[in-house]
Amino acid sequence: MSKKGTEERAGGGVTRRDALVKAGVVGAGAIAAGSLAGGAKASTRRAGAPSKIRRGGRIIWALEQDPVHVAPFGAILTSNHWGKQAAYDSLVEWDKNLNLKPALATSWKIAADQKSITFNLRKGVKFHNGKELDAGDVKYSIEKMLAPPLPGSIVTVSQVPGFEGADVVSKYVVRLRLKTRDARVFGFLAWNRYSPIVPAGLYDQINAARNAIGTGPYRMVGFNPNDRVEYVANKSFWKPGQPYMDAMTLKTLPDEQSRIAALRAGAIDGATVSSDGAKSLANDSSLVVLKGGTAAFRELQFTIKGDPKPWHDARVRRAVNFAINRQAIINTVYNGNGNYSGIVPPGYGSWPFTQAELKSKYQKFDLPKAKALMAAAGQTKGFSVKLSTFSTPLEFQQIASVIKSQLKAINIDVEIVAQEPGTFDANNGTGNFEWDLTARGMRGDIDGYLSEYNPSNTIYQRWYPLYKNVKVWRAIGNGKITLDPAKRLPIYKGAQVQLMNDLPQIGLIQVNKYQVVNKRVQGMYVAFDDFNTGLRNNVWLAS
Amino acid sequence: MGGYVLKRVLTMIPTMIGISILIFLMVRLLPGDIVSVLAGGDIGSDPELIEQARRDLGLTGSYPEQYWRWISGVLQGDLGVSLRNTEPVSTVLLNALPITAELVFLGLLIATVIGVPLGVLSAVKRDSKHDFAARIGGLIGVSIPSFFLATLLLLFTSKVLGWVPPLNYVPFYEDPIENLSQFILPAISIAVFTLAIVMRMVRATMLEVLGQDYVRTARAKGVKRKVVISRHALRNSLIPVVTVIGFEIGILMGGSAIVEIIFGLPGLGNTLINAIFNRDYPVVQGATMLLAFIFIFANLLVDLLYGVLDPRITQE
Repeated sequence: MSKKGTEERAGGGVTRRDALVKAGVVGAGAIAAGSLAGGAKASTRRAGAPSKIRRGGRIIWALEQDPVHVAPFGAILTSNHWGKQAAYDSLVEWDKNLNLKPALATSWKIAADQKSITFNLRKGVKFHNGKELDAGDVKYSIEKMLAPPLPGSIVTVSQVPGFEGADVVSKYVVRLRLKTRDARVFGFLAWNRYSPIVPAGLYDQINAARNAIGTGPYRMVGFNPNDRVEYVANKSFWKPGQPYMDAMTLKTLPDEQSRIAALRAGAIDGATVSSDGAKSLANDSSLVVLKGGTAAFRELQFTIKGDPKPWHDARVRRAVNFAINRQAIINTVYNGNGNYSGIVPPGYGSWPFTQAELKSKYQKFDLPKAKALMAAAGQTKGFSVKLSTFSTPLEFQQIASVIKSQLKAINIDVEIVAQEPGTFDANNGTGNFEWDLTARGMRGDIDGYLSEYNPSNTIYQRWYPLYKNVKVWRAIGNGKITLDPAKRLPIYKGAQVQLMNDLPQIGLIQVNKYQVVNKRVQGMYVAFDDFNTGLRNNVWLAS
Repeated sequence: MGGYVLKRVLTMIPTMIGISILIFLMVRLLPGDIVSVLAGGDIGSDPELIEQARRDLGLTGSYPEQYWRWISGVLQGDLGVSLRNTEPVSTVLLNALPITAELVFLGLLIATVIGVPLGVLSAVKRDSKHDFAARIGGLIGVSIPSFFLATLLLLFTSKVLGWVPPLNYVPFYEDPIENLSQFILPAISIAVFTLAIVMRMVRATMLEVLGQDYVRTARAKGVKRKVVISRHALRNSLIPVVTVIGFEIGILMGGSAIVEIIFGLPGLGNTLINAIFNRDYPVVQGATMLLAFIFIFANLLVDLLYGVLDPRITQE
């Protein structure tokens, strides 16, 4: 499975199978726990060799976007989780290769009808305010996941699996009730984005938008919006020997050149930069450039609704797919660094297609085939279309430009419309576009990448109500309630094969994420989930 | 004088009302409110949840109803709360305002302290090498955008000196040295344009004033050249300069946003930009109203200063 590194040795981590054995559970329901395990490569390189860990010191890490608030529930921005991540734990967690591990729950048992899960809590875990974790806290947290108070947004409830509620069985035992069988539960919990465990009554005790009380490795001691988040080590952290550092500052520095300057000057210890930024710092002997794929990938979306449009014909969409040279996009925009991506990003366990499958079959650049498909669809002369994308970051407009030039070859005249991100999001969410060049991110479960093809999903009606494929609908419906990954895998693979043929959306590329760290930073890695998980769990300072 | 001030203050009221309506409408003309932005493609919530989120955030009702709710709160000193982090808008603004005010103050200080003497020198030594250098410098100053200069300064100091300004904001009263070392580069970045304008303005008006009869008369009476320049010519050259500086206060209060972002300063401009991206209406409205008020107030002060600089100008 995964290489044994600093995290595994120090944290007593276990593989998926170990976790299941430890939990003492058997049967189909239990196996659902390992939803993502098996081959996710979270990073290509780690900062520093796993030598003797030195404790102490303060790290200053630059965030490229302000967290805005640090409320535990109902937050949507990725940057919100960057801000709060170090403070909170969930019942289970992923290691860096997305293997499921016990966290605040040491074991669990899925009921025979698969409609409830009983969690045994770790004893003696202390919240940052000194209170001991018990089942009442988990019940309270589950309730808040289902009804996040302000400034969280109720709209995130659509991300929560079918939780019905939670019951306190005893001080350290809690039962999670589900509306129906649901394979998404463990991924949702392990992701921790929407599922932190907080002390009961948290919202009555503090302003949860500005402060945090969790069980995480670092205790939040200050948050100034547009400025910084300050953490100190949680001396009572439940993982023996962790955390390694005394303190952590997360400084908001949205401007990349500022982050680069601060890295060069040693004013910060690490930051995320673009591929060009990483290139400019590659020769700096005081810095280490880390690179890794993340769940973020780029995608071409269509609306299939309303008046007939050429791309309502699947042959036209297939032609577009074969006319796009993804390697050219990777070379032109990302200095040759990136992967092909379907609608499930490479590295997401065993769910996506392999690179070989994508390059030789589903996403092969094949202009003659594209032209033949356009001819078969009666579109030899082509058509004009508006392609909307984000105005910033600039890479989106650059990708759009490459696509525009490539699609000229099949006589599609693409007009690029760059929109301010808020405008783009609003238009995308309401289906107010012809084509969108957009980005996708991490999901707690494979269902998160396919649920938008479920006709009962609101977004389906907004994007492509005219697209119909019963096999896809059936697969998504069955996949969600099939807890055995061995049975689940072919269901979702089959759905992807259908979707790669129908192409209501076209996956494009997965880009690498670059994080540059000072040489004294050890144990950092580019986390596949696009958060700074390595910073929270692994990092220590050499001097 | 008192009547004039009262009249000007009273004219501020309809101006502020007009601005409040414009701001209110303009932020709502942006596609998508905070909820639809939050519930973009990646979330895709069902309409019921979206409507509930709107109710939670007080975004229901017609625009006139929403405007009335907001403006009646403002008139009672309640600017509302941030939709993104539930912080009272007044707290958000009070935290951000001192940072921007200090930045603008330092920027204008640098611009004035360097720009005025340079302009005088340039005028007095017209067509000398000093004059040419100052004029070329002035041209560069008005041509270079502040955000570009800020980036250049940062890259230069980090690459050549291995130094960047301290990243964490420290108020002046807590640590003046740390505070000033944090503000020096951003202040220079926003000062250069104003400095160039001030320098060119002083030079032009000084040249005009130096050619006036009363200056010649003073010289003919045997008054020393230095005295003529400093007491007779300069004072009369300052009126347009004061106008520019008054105008620049308002411009820089909002216009320093990009520089604040580059240097990681959590000031008013930075806050406003983020609020616009987040469709955080109450913060956008509150910040813009504050900036508008500062702009109008600065202009009033400038008008009043005219009379002090030149007693012939009365506020009738």
